[in-house]
Amino acid sequence: MITFKKGNLRVPKWNRRVFMVAGGTTAYRKFFPEYKLEELVMMAFKQMLEDNNLKMDPLEVKGLINYAAYGEFADHFQDQLLCEAKIHDYLGLDPLFNVGIKTGGATGGTTILNAAMAVASGYADVALAAGWERMDEVDTRTGNFYISTAACKDFETRLGRVYSSYYAPMANRFAWAFNVSETTRAKIAVKNRLYACSSPYAQQPGKHTVEEVLASPMSAYPLRFLECCAMSVGSACALLCDEKTAYQLSDNPCEVFICGGTHTLRVADRRPMDIPLLPNEIPGMYKELVKEGSRWPGFESFLAARFAAYLTYRMAGIHDPLEELDLVELHDAFTISDLQTYGDIGLRPYGQEQDYIESGDAYYGGKCPSNLSGGLLGTMHAVGATGIFQAVECLWQLQQKYDQFHGDSKIWKKWGKTKPRDWKSLQIPKKSKQALWVSHAGVGSHVTVCIIKKS
Amino acid sequence: MAKKTQQTKFIGQVTKIRQTEPQTVIEWPRALTHVHTYGMLSPFFQGLKEGKLKATFCPNKKCPEDRLWIPPRAHCPDCHTEMKWKTLRNPVIGKVYAFTEVVYAGTGIELSTPYWQIDVQLPGLATVPKSYLLYGKPYIGMKVMAEFRTEKPSNTVLDYYWVPVE
Repeated sequence: MITFKKGNLRVPKWNRRVFMVAGGTTAYRKFFPEYKLEELVMMAFKQMLEDNNLKMDPLEVKGLINYAAYGEFADHFQDQLLCEAKIHDYLGLDPLFNVGIKTGGATGGTTILNAAMAVASGYADVALAAGWERMDEVDTRTGNFYISTAACKDFETRLGRVYSSYYAPMANRFAWAFNVSETTRAKIAVKNRLYACSSPYAQQPGKHTVEEVLASPMSAYPLRFLECCAMSVGSACALLCDEKTAYQLSDNPCEVFICGGTHTLRVADRRPMDIPLLPNEIPGMYKELVKEGSRWPGFESFLAARFAAYLTYRMAGIHDPLEELDLVELHDAFTISDLQTYGDIGLRPYGQEQDYIESGDAYYGGKCPSNLSGGLLGTMHAVGATGIFQAVECLWQLQQKYDQFHGDSKIWKKWGKTKPRDWKSLQIPKKSKQALWVSHAGVGSHVTVCIIKKS
Repeated sequence: MAKKTQQTKFIGQVTKIRQTEPQTVIEWPRALTHVHTYGMLSPFFQGLKEGKLKATFCPNKKCPEDRLWIPPRAHCPDCHTEMKWKTLRNPVIGKVYAFTEVVYAGTGIELSTPYWQIDVQLPGLATVPKSYLLYGKPYIGMKVMAEFRTEKPSNTVLDYYWVPVE
């Protein structure tokens, strides 16, 4: 049994306020022979410095950076140890200190957290958070094996060698526990792949039907190919700074609040425990939640996500996430991980997760739309970049720059694409104030929950 | 004067070019063997070859966790005491807690696809270990019994699996 003591539950507090002012990204592809990795990171870095309407010359902005956090999931994929040093030199940032971050699928979120801590502590006034992955040096099945070594190599990897086989049992258990139809999961894939159609950066946009999703080839029952993200190549970066610099650089910086949580690498080791309650939940409300023989978090929920939300909501002063958040970007590596997270971060009470999709709240124009970027299913999962890409999409949405960065024909052309004639803006309303994204690893081994607020 | 016959020779294999457009892409072959220890968990893997499913437990009577662990641990995560071994009495009977049919597996898979991967709940365990069902179709709550690959063992966690209990 995991029990918390007072110190364990301390809500993190910055020594000074932290802001995000700019972001950049590449397009994402399964195979990207046109560019070397460092060239892709440079392209994201240049977009961040040059295209975000910062009130200073791009090289002057670069001259303010004095710390860099780099996210990369697996050395295996790049087959390059100390890739961070190579990238850092290529960006022309030596001799500033840089640090490599590795927390699996949550690497991007943790990279933002690390850069934010550098600013909050005073180590840096301006910090770069950049991430990348190059997953095209090996074939797909070998890539799946590499990723499965992020399961326990002694007790799990040999039993699947593909990560869908570690999420699929959770999907079956979740459906059994909460009577969830496969259609609900399929709707998540349809939604996110559709939103990816508006993104020039998207790897797997598509106008699919629920029937097509459910008829697509099986990876690990019940997860079909269209319910799983793909191998990606690409990079994203974000610029974080202190309050004074934020306003020197931007008229619309966003304040950053971010915390993390962790839990066992092996799902097997999740021991039952009491549910840490979010600010809008009341003691006793989950008494009847689980059927006999079940337990929390069981295979249905993620303690790491719940714990990160528990801290971040208190840090950012969020009481009711569904009412107060204007946009969420969730870690939809698989449809089931997306669905599970709705309860963890309080978009719905545990056991009612599917209602977030079925009610329409999760859609563009709904109460709190999710993954308008196209998410991991539709747009990208170049793992080290993912949590940073999500941050940048949230920033651009709050800054009312969705169209600037998604609707410009030149950006589509830059990545070898033609802007669709039926392109649709997914810009959230001007009155929107705060957005959240979740960066998630393993089967819930590391999770960060971040909120940015329009200042 | 240096002799030309002593010049450095290229002794590698010629790198294959996969494509030249839009840019040059080469092949970079990799063949690796890691030497991996089971450490203090070695008795678990040895036990499988002898038809025994072994769990660990924390001997500290003051420890809040008094249940068994599979996967085993050498040290208790709650009080850091060195764990002790307990062999589960055969037949080991458990219930399917969760399952999937693995259809598409990654490189190196050692089980013929498709196969049923199952997570099994066992009485007295704090954990729900992952394994596979040798035959049959699992459902949540299904009773299963542990069996062992005592002949030609693989020396891995695949040396135990489950069969349905009718």
